Amino acid sequence: MSSTVDPRAKLFLVICLSTLGIVFENIWTLLIVLIAELIYAVMLQANVLTAIKKLRKMLYLIIGIVILQSLFIRTGRVLIGFNHIKIITDVGLIKGAGYLLRVMIIFLSGTIIATSDMRELIQGLIQLKLPYDLAFMASVGIKFLPLLMEQLKDTLIAIQLRGIDLNSLKLKQKLEIYAYIFTPVIVNTLTKAKQISISIEARGFRAFNQRTSIKVLKFKALDYALALSSAIVAGVIIIFNWHLLQI
Amino acid sequence: MNNYIRIHQVSYSINGQAVLNNIDLSLARNQFVALVGPNGSGKTTLSKLIMGIIAPSRGYILVDSTDVKDLGLANIGSKIGYLFQNPNRQIFAATVMEELTFAYRFKKHQQPQLQQQVNEMLAVFELEHLSQAKTYFLSHGEKQRVALAAILLNDPEYLILDEPTTGLDQKRKKELSSLLQKIRSKNIGMLMISHDHQFVLEQADRIIELDRGGVVNEQHS
Ligand SMILES: Nc1ncnc2c1ncn2[C@@H]1O[C@H](COP(=O)(O)OP(=O)(O)O)[C@@H](O)[C@H]1O
Ligand SMILES: [Mg+2]
Repeated sequence: MSSTVDPRAKLFLVICLSTLGIVFENIWTLLIVLIAELIYAVMLQANVLTAIKKLRKMLYLIIGIVILQSLFIRTGRVLIGFNHIKIITDVGLIKGAGYLLRVMIIFLSGTIIATSDMRELIQGLIQLKLPYDLAFMASVGIKFLPLLMEQLKDTLIAIQLRGIDLNSLKLKQKLEIYAYIFTPVIVNTLTKAKQISISIEARGFRAFNQRTSIKVLKFKALDYALALSSAIVAGVIIIFNWHLLQI
Repeated sequence: MNNYIRIHQVSYSINGQAVLNNIDLSLARNQFVALVGPNGSGKTTLSKLIMGIIAPSRGYILVDSTDVKDLGLANIGSKIGYLFQNPNRQIFAATVMEELTFAYRFKKHQQPQLQQQVNEMLAVFELEHLSQAKTYFLSHGEKQRVALAAILLNDPEYLILDEPTTGLDQKRKKELSSLLQKIRSKNIGMLMISHDHQFVLEQADRIIELDRGGVVNEQHS
């Protein structure tokens, strides 16, 4: 099902739900948005499990930000603290949980978009009147991302083969080593970018203002249904939580 | 000495596709071995297995009697110098001089005579005039010499070179072969991957031919 859905319908869905996730602050509303998005993600056969695994890797970072955030919130009942110093309050904790929910909503949006073929997604953006140059740049960037990761991994291996044991380094040295690792990657990327720009100019990129596409996307019944249902879900959530909006 | 690298019934597959099948080889330290074979026959993969960059699907590899999987990249790299097919992968610093010295700031054992050894390497590899040159502007051959110099400063017992002659003209190839002779005289064993039959025939004591992931021919000269 997921591959037959128009990427523009998915974009619409994701924009509706992510906007709600940003506008509302209430945890219960955010939780409902997350559940709605989860249902859509499963229906569209998105890689929810992989997303959860990736999120787990970032868990420490997220928890760190949550604690940092709640440190600066002075209101509410003190949960953890010494004498007069408030460390974590209940309000802070609730705000942190809200933040976590938002991160998950955005992450799920990413996995829903990722179910589209990249070429199709770019075509969708072009048909939404995004300038072709921008859409093309985005597609080149996305295509080179795995290559970049590969290169980064190779370089990390090469530097260890110089006899440097990364695990035994102090933090300061580790940071310094990362500067060395990024140097070849950045230099190679710039070189490659220059080659690509020469090569696409040589093939007549931007030679004509009017471009046509072999494959043109068409909105089908299923796409209308998906777009309509996301509008309805968003509408219902807004109506029920209207009183929470501070406009 | 006779079995510095021992490859025992090693197979490697990726995404369900066999790249190497049941390879059984021993490489000695006093030999110059050439690994030849068509593109895609698995030469680079075999060298990466030896270096512990990837792990075999079946079988094991011993380097100096220790299983590679127990050694760790830093240890293997100190025993075996590895020249990547693409030298851009292993040049990290902004200038040639820094490239040759920076790694020693991150090691436990200090090398008191480092500067003298670096100067020697610069002389051997004819890089003296380039010692302050920016590494990104070097030619392919120069980058390769810098990478090789950096590897040899690590004082390895063995060298694996992945296609070191690609991108070199006749003159540079001659210079490379006289360099390799110098390296051999220091009792460093060598495995060289190459399609350059002429170059290999002139240099190697033993030629191993790979095809479609298996050893198809072996000859000693
Ligand atoms: N990371 C990889 N992913 C998929 N296939 C690979 C990968 N590495 C090597 N191969 C495949 O393994 C085979 C052997 O590759 P390689 O060892 O690089 O050959 P050679 O160095 O002899 O040209 C090739 O068919 C190549 O496509
Ligand atoms: Mg190769």
